[in-house]
Amino acid sequence: MSTTEPSPALRTSAFTCVRCGLTVSALGPDGRGRGHCPSCLSSLHTADRVGGGPSDCLGRMVPVSISVPRGGAWVLIHRCTRCAALAEAPVAADDNHLVLMRIAVRPLADPPFPLDLFGEV
Amino acid sequence: MGRRNRDRRERRPQRAKTVLHAHGEAGRGGSFRCAGCRLEVPVHAPGTAHRNHCPHCLTSLHVDLRIPGDRAADCRGPMAAVGLAGRADGEWMLVHRCARCGGLSGNRVAGDDNARALVRLAVRPLAGAPSGFASVAREALVRL
Repeated sequence: MSTTEPSPALRTSAFTCVRCGLTVSALGPDGRGRGHCPSCLSSLHTADRVGGGPSDCLGRMVPVSISVPRGGAWVLIHRCTRCAALAEAPVAADDNHLVLMRIAVRPLADPPFPLDLFGEV
Repeated sequence: MGRRNRDRRERRPQRAKTVLHAHGEAGRGGSFRCAGCRLEVPVHAPGTAHRNHCPHCLTSLHVDLRIPGDRAADCRGPMAAVGLAGRADGEWMLVHRCARCGGLSGNRVAGDDNARALVRLAVRPLAGAPSGFASVAREALVRL
């Protein structure tokens, strides 16, 4: 059995989003495992990034920011609402573009200093 | 606090320093050297009690493990600023990613942070967006 093909159990499994209740297939359109809901982009705090292994927090993770590594693909950064831990997840092809765009422009929409001067610099 | 943020809710007071910081971190002169651009940075920052990144290149150092200020991480790799998150009270939060171990941390921006570096970070998702996103981004920016 090849290791690139996902197992039938993974291909047919699904989970329910903790925020919007959408039933989401565990595999994304590109064949990779999915970590967050494609509709509201919420996730569950199941993996412990700092110590490694599973986490016993199981809090809801909200998307807070988008980072762009050198490759150019967007990476979503989640923050746990229970323990404030951060996690990152690659953006899937069927993720909600409206919500992604909202997260991307949120810092610019509410700047801590006036951005008007940047046209002149 | 910004002009538009006056009526927002009160924010949590900053954590007190509970762990004794290493001697080299803020030497006798009360300053440290940035891991990214080697700038000599004074520890005292306007607007925050904890200077945790360079005001010029926004680079930080991986010294805290779970709680900010616990100094429990033995990685000590340089952390580059990768993203900006707008908080509910209108303040920007910097997201740092460790270049050595990939650890993430969120830090408040300080009053003397380089505004050009911050804005560059804020527009980076929109600049590298696929072509379909470009028109949406422009529309969103025009509406600001």
